[in-house]
Amino acid sequence: MAKIIVVTSGKGGVGKTTSAAAIATGLALRGNKTVVIDFDVGLRNLDLIMGCERRVVYDLVNVIQGEAGLNQALIRDKRVDNLHILPASQTRDKDALSVEGVEKVLETLSKDFDFIICDSPAGIERGAQLAMYFADAAIVVTNPEVSSVRDSDRMLGLLASKTRRAERGDDPIQEHLLITRYNPSRVDLGDMLNLEDIREILAIDLIGLIPESEAVLRASNQGVPVTHDATSDAGQAYTDTVARLLGEDVPLRFHEYQKKSLLSRMFGGGRR
Amino acid sequence: MSLKVDRDSMAFTFKGGMLPMTVMELTSADPERIRDQLAGKLSQSPAFFQHTPVVLSVEKLDEPHLALERICAVCRAHKLLPVAVRGGPEPVKQSAWALGLGWFPPQEASRPRALESVAPAEPESALEVADELETPPGVTSGGRIYRGTVRSGQQVTAPEGDLVVVGAVNAGAEVLAAGSVHVYGALRGRALAGIHGDAMASIFCRELRAELLSVAGNYKRLEDIDPRLLGTTVQVRLDGDQLGITSLS
Repeated sequence: MAKIIVVTSGKGGVGKTTSAAAIATGLALRGNKTVVIDFDVGLRNLDLIMGCERRVVYDLVNVIQGEAGLNQALIRDKRVDNLHILPASQTRDKDALSVEGVEKVLETLSKDFDFIICDSPAGIERGAQLAMYFADAAIVVTNPEVSSVRDSDRMLGLLASKTRRAERGDDPIQEHLLITRYNPSRVDLGDMLNLEDIREILAIDLIGLIPESEAVLRASNQGVPVTHDATSDAGQAYTDTVARLLGEDVPLRFHEYQKKSLLSRMFGGGRR
Repeated sequence: MSLKVDRDSMAFTFKGGMLPMTVMELTSADPERIRDQLAGKLSQSPAFFQHTPVVLSVEKLDEPHLALERICAVCRAHKLLPVAVRGGPEPVKQSAWALGLGWFPPQEASRPRALESVAPAEPESALEVADELETPPGVTSGGRIYRGTVRSGQQVTAPEGDLVVVGAVNAGAEVLAAGSVHVYGALRGRALAGIHGDAMASIFCRELRAELLSVAGNYKRLEDIDPRLLGTTVQVRLDGDQLGITSLS
């Protein structure tokens, strides 16, 4: 049985898709058979971030509506063998998804995969609720910013009441906090909320902290998940996050402001 | 003609008010069934039925023609005062108006805030499953203890007695009690004590950051609160018709 993990946030633009792609890639690189599903019907992006946009034929909606088989719609990642992508439809809207349809797709995928990563759309409407409904664990992506924290808080409330686990009274969904776009120097200046404040408000376990990094934008535009960029801080931070998801105890990095040494300033430093 | 109105000559002023209101969410339109259930509730908690104003929500019903008059009569016989109807098709709206009741549009489906929608709010960690919600018998009569964080969009209510929250109340969340509200954590959301008009009710919290504080309908917004009190441990109680906030630290 696969573990179903939803990557969600409430607020848009915080890095859900980037994180879903990076974490799915990380899990696959560690040898887990992983599929990442784009639930953002009508505004699909995951295929771009994963660099497979030219290979999309069928999508999630086609599968749910019986117009294509699951194997026809699954796209095998070019870089990692045991990673698959199930894209969203760009032409339909979210009403094309049904609870029963999603359940059937997830059940079928569960037999073959170790991890199913659901990339949730922004908002708290139907698409987001369907993405989280069958999840065993949730990664709540939050930026160090008040509105993002409040939306994540709202999302955590929904995760605790609007999921199948909550409705059936099963063990509650595992909630993990992933802070993205963290910039320690701006935190020191007081421009951004600090790590401790976010943890205190949301009161859930921290699974990872991704520093604000040029590598992320570069990765998105190139269609290569940032996890592949092992020299970048963001790539390493996602690798750490994946290790923690797999139960390893990895110390937190990139949360403190490192003053540049004289030498690195003279020679322009490494890439960030 | 002057646009200026002399204050003394005014018979009334309009004021915005936020009053706590019990919503009676009807799942049956049969007055007999409503009567039976009310009779049962009345014997359980007679304190609640004291000409309590209620809003009849008919959103969950699919009946174009409701026996609204009979339902209202049943409510009144049990000391509930229907003051308005929420939701329902046009004929229901018309008959509500004909009966002298107000009508509210149906609530957005995306914000379920019925009292019972909060009750199953799940704990955030497995450790707290057992004692997430408990009503200690005989300790606070009809009070309620909630363990865990009350999150944005959630509403936790103690319709009788005190509400104790062991955890934080986050921005955008709402905690309400007929008696006092105690928050053993940061209070960042809204807290309403004395929702049935108990002027002796108070609000206590570890760390004051509240968006709104209200005791028996008298409220203060975050903007009205002395900034020096923010972040401190306080009690809030009614002093005349003004809310008084005093530090406990």
